[in-house]
Parts: sequence; C-alpha cells; structure tokens
Amino acid sequence: MKRILGHTLWAAVSVAAAFALGSLALNRGEPINSLWLVVAAVCTYLIGFRFYAKFIAAKVMVLDNDRATPAERLRNGHDFEPTNKWILFGHHFAAIAGPGPLVGPVLAAQFGYLPGTLWIIIGAVLGGCVQDFIILFCSMRRDGKSLGQMAREEIGKVGGITALLTVLAIIIILLAVIALVVVNALKGSPWGTFTIAATMPIAVFMGLYLRYWRPGKVLEVSLIGFALVVLSIFGGQAVSQSATLAPIFTLSGVALALSVIIYGFFASALPVWLLLAPRDYLSTFVKLGVVFMLAVGIVLVRPQLELPAFSRFTDGTGPIFAGKIFPFCFITIACGAISGFHSLISSGTTPKMIGKEWHAWPVGYGSMALESFVAIMAMIAACALQPGVYFAVNSPAGVVGATHEAAVSTITAWGFPVTVQDMTTLAADVGEHDLFHRTGGAPSLALGMAHIFARTGGGRAILGFWYHFAIMFEALFILTIIDAGTRVGRFMLQDLLGHVWKPLGRTSWIPGVILTSAAIVLAWGYFLYQGVVDPLGGINSLWPLFGIANQLLAAVALCLATTVLVKMHGARYMWITCTPLAWLVTVTFTAGYQKIFSPVPRVGFLAQAAELSASGVADAATRALIFNARLDAVVCAVFLVLVATILVDSIRVWAGILRGTREARITETPFVLSRLRPEEI
Amino acid sequence: MRLIRKAARLLVALLRELGDENAYRRHLAAHHRTHSREEWQKFSQERLRWKFVHPKCC
Repeated sequence: MKRILGHTLWAAVSVAAAFALGSLALNRGEPINSLWLVVAAVCTYLIGFRFYAKFIAAKVMVLDNDRATPAERLRNGHDFEPTNKWILFGHHFAAIAGPGPLVGPVLAAQFGYLPGTLWIIIGAVLGGCVQDFIILFCSMRRDGKSLGQMAREEIGKVGGITALLTVLAIIIILLAVIALVVVNALKGSPWGTFTIAATMPIAVFMGLYLRYWRPGKVLEVSLIGFALVVLSIFGGQAVSQSATLAPIFTLSGVALALSVIIYGFFASALPVWLLLAPRDYLSTFVKLGVVFMLAVGIVLVRPQLELPAFSRFTDGTGPIFAGKIFPFCFITIACGAISGFHSLISSGTTPKMIGKEWHAWPVGYGSMALESFVAIMAMIAACALQPGVYFAVNSPAGVVGATHEAAVSTITAWGFPVTVQDMTTLAADVGEHDLFHRTGGAPSLALGMAHIFARTGGGRAILGFWYHFAIMFEALFILTIIDAGTRVGRFMLQDLLGHVWKPLGRTSWIPGVILTSAAIVLAWGYFLYQGVVDPLGGINSLWPLFGIANQLLAAVALCLATTVLVKMHGARYMWITCTPLAWLVTVTFTAGYQKIFSPVPRVGFLAQAAELSASGVADAATRALIFNARLDAVVCAVFLVLVATILVDSIRVWAGILRGTREARITETPFVLSRLRPEEI
Repeated sequence: MRLIRKAARLLVALLRELGDENAYRRHLAAHHRTHSREEWQKFSQERLRWKFVHPKCC
C-alpha cells in the first residue's frame, strides 16, 4: 500500500513538473504567474534528487554507511567532526550561496524569463548538483582533500598546477566584478553608502564585543549587529535628507571604487577577528534570513512576470551585455545552474563534517538544488518589474543615451514603454535621486525584492526601507567575499612566491604580507577601475569574463570527476559527468572565442580595441580603453589555454586507462568500519 | 507541535554551527577545558585562521 502511494505521489510530482514546464514554454503574449516557475523548479529538483541523484549515489558512487568517513576517522572536534545532516545541509548551503545566483539571473533576464529559467533548472539538475555531489564524494573518500590536491593526484602534476593558477585568476576576476556590482549599487546614493559605511564600525564593535566583553557569544552579538544595521538603514534615510551630510555620502563611481580598493587592502591585512569574522557571521545569518523571507514573499504575493518569455535581445543586441542566447545566457548564469567555485567548497569544509556517506546525497545534491531555487527567485524578482523600468535601470548610458529623455526614448522604441516621470516617481519612492543607468543587477534586484516585500505589508510607504534593506543585504556579503577573497588570494600568491624566495611564503612576515596583499588588491582593483570607467558599463565585459572563468573551473572539476569515475567503472558511467563537461566546454570555448575574436565591437574585445583605434581619438582615456580591451582578450585567452591544458591532460589519462596502457590507481583511503552511533549525529 | 519543536531545535543548532558556537563547545569538551576569555581567543584565533584560507563562494 505504501509502495503504491509512493508511486502515485511521484507520478503526481512528475505530471506537475511537466505541466508547469509546458505552461512556461508554450505560453506566449500573456503575463504568466510566477508560481508556475516555482512549481516547475521545485518538482524538477525533487525528481532529480529522488531518482537521478539516488541512482548516482547507489550505483555509481556505491555509498556505504558502514564505511567510516574522515569526520569519524580523523575526528578532532575542530574541522573533522561528524555533524547532523540537516545542520550540514544548512552549513554547506550558506557556504555556496553568494551573490552569483542573485545577480546572474537578473542580468540574463534581458533575454526574457524562459531561457534563463530553463538553464537554471536543467543545468542544476544535470550539471551543477551532479558536480557538487561527485566532488564532495571524491573529497570525502580522500580524507577531505582539496580540488587542487585531488587534481594533482588523480590527473597529474600539470592538472594540479593548472587548477591552482585557474583558481587564483578566477578569484581576481570574481572580486573585481562583485566589487563593481557594489560600486554601481551605491553610486550617487547617500542612503546606501551611509548604510554600508556604517556596517564597518558595527563589525568592529562586534569584533571587540566578541573578543573582550562577551567571548563566544556569536549569536548574541550577531543579533545586536543586525539591530544596529537596521538602525543604520533608518540613519541612511536621515543622511540622504540632510543638506549637510548628503553631499558627503554622495560618491561617484571612481570615488567608490577607490574606497573599496583601499578598504580591501586594509581588511585583508587587519586581524581577522576585528572586522572580517564578525561581519562574516552577520552576513551569513542575514543571507539565510533574506533568502527565506524572499521565498515566503514570492509564495504570498505570487507576482506576475512582466517580462516576456523571449525578448527581442535574443539576437545578441542586448543593452546589458552583448551576445546571443547561445553561449552568453549559459555563462551569465553560472552559480544558479553550475558553478565551478562550488567545487572548492565541496572539497573544503563540508567533506570533513559528513557523519555517514549517504548524507552526501542531500548535502551535495540537495544544497545545490536549493541554491538553484535562489536563482529562480532572483529571476522572478527581476521579471516582476515593468520591462521598461528593468531596462532603464540596467542599461548603460553608452547604449541607451546619457540623458533621461534619450534613455526612455530608446527603451520605449524597443517596445518596453517607460517615461521619465515613471522613473522619477519610483526613485522618490525608494529614496534615491536617480535610478537610470544603475548597471550591475543589484539595484534592479533590490527593486524587485522591495516590491515583493512591500506587497506583503506596508505598501509603497516602506518601499524605500525594503530597497535599502535589499541593497544592504547584497553589499554586506559581497564586501565579506571581497576581504575574505583578497586574503585567500594573498595566501595563494604567497604560496606560489615562496617557491621563488622563501620569506615571501611566510604568512607572518609583515613586508611579505603587505606586498602580496597590495599585489592582489591592485590586480582586482585594476579590473574594477576599468569596469567603472567603461562607457559600456563594465558589466558588459567583466561579467562574461567572470562567467567564462567560473564555468571553466567547473570544467576542471568535471574533468577530475570523470577521471575518478573512469578509474572506478571504466567507460560505463562516464556520460554522467561527460555530458555537462561537453556542454560547458562547448559553451565556454564558444563564448571565449567570441569575446576575443567577434567582429562586433560590443562583443569582441579585439574588435572593440580596433574600433577605438580607428576612431582617431588619441587622448589618454581612449588609449586606456584600447589597452583594457586588449588586456581582457589576453585574460580570456589565458583562461582558455589553462582549461585546454587540463582537458587534454585528462583525456590522455582517460584514454590510457580505457586502453589498458595506464594503471587505474584509485587514491581512496582504505575501508574502515564505521562505529559511529546514530545518536552522535 | 513536536515537529515544530524539533524544527526549532534544528534551526538553533544550525545557527550555533554557523556561528562556531558548537565548534567552541566541542573544543572545550575535547580538551577538557572550561570557558574563559583566553580560551575563546585561543580557539577563535585557530578557527579563523583555518576558516579564512578557503575562498568564499560567488
């Protein structure tokens, strides 16, 4: 009876998924309710989790709860500790959820809601969740080793060094692009700038409180910190209305970029407990809370999707970033569908905390499915905006025109009516002076979220509070990633330079710390500055570069996963990782090739440089733009070469094993019987 | 009601895990020590040094 009930339930879930996906795909011309997206996504994740992931767990990985995990064997009460699977699920989700799944879908919404939504759902179920799950499994069977260590051991030395260089390069581009998102969100906004500036003394206060006054009371101090941050949002409103203070906190893009660069340097060199750690605690709690609030808000409000299923920009002429759906939709949305960065988390903290092998199933596959759902929510928030407003906020002045009149005329001519009055009223409602040309995705996401939150209660009267709450939420954890990322980049650089000159490798040698911190900050700071002064808005060049880099790291992770599967089962289950790998290689190499060589100046870096050279203008700014475009082309080429290297190296290993000319040596730790009692986890 | 209580307990446990409070308790138990400012500082220094050598996800 139970069996029949189970079959009936799963049949109902399958029918609901098929019906919702069909409704999304076939509906044209009429606004569609966002609940269709929610049903399509949730039902597809459930089917993927119950059937595909369970098949991988049982038949491919052959998970065994009798086998002791590293958490049990190497238990030290610190990093190796068997943890309850649902707590670990939340822990892993908090670690993988960053700004990517929020910003990427907002930018990709320029194609309409359908391409991005389908990629988020299908990409996650067949690619992203599988990648996270298998890398977690590989690391769990290898004492919690990192991606780089595993690549070196399973593929070879070349693979290991290439993985390390790829990660360092990606960190630099990642920090630049997310810093650009913050700069664009705060540009000319005294309210937002004050709120974010206030989080720094608040974090320092929390650090001191935790270290000297109430040691160990992290939840207590985080609650106090959250209350202070909410107060600072109200303070920001007062600042924006003050004739004296408002000009002080009204900063240009360049001034904000310099502030973030200087901040990044000091934050990476300061003691971690003072600024970084307390803000990291706070941003993690706020992040989980806001994601939950957004999910509840969407279910309560059920907004209509105002953007069409496909917009006119599928032809590659989009104002936010140039390029056709294939390949650019698939690199713009990385984190919500498949993200190489997750493989670093899946081979970092999480494998050291898994109590039983089967817990990897919900933790590895399930957490990524939830992250994918966050991307769906971001897509809903963006598509719930009036299309004219969405494009007015996200389009750079270089594309739609510098004046408000020119911008609304261009956007209305595209078929998305909007007036200067609409934008002025909206800006006044959210307490901003101007919402035109606020590229980067964060302001439009904040607008979408604010509308959803305001409709659950409070209405237009508190739209300004919710808008700045959303901006604070985005900026808070982006800044945490910037200072943590700069620190990690510094450690990696010190690790590399230590081979050249030993003192540079010592993390306690102050001149070495300052030098390497400055080198990392200057590296991402240069790309950030380049994005800020770019007349096309910066996102047009930097976000695709970041997307390519992130997806290439996913290709590295899938190469490793395929190598492990080939060593375990020969060619039998290669398709599981080779299918997403083949897709990613096709997408990223096509995107990379187009970003370098496309003859369209808004797409191809070299064509952009050539157009600027041919314009005859030879001032310093133009020369800098030409240099930047060529530099971006070189960076893109370096990414492609790095991944081609690891791909060729991996294929060589697979061919050797399948032909029998190479030993399929598995580096798993030997079986040890688990003695962990259920009540311990 | 029992389910709600269980969910609330799980949520608090998750928040304590994310806030390193559980790890601190384990540290005290493993080393047979009692809570003090110095002990927290020692634990926190080691924990944070380990925590912030890993990149945070995008």
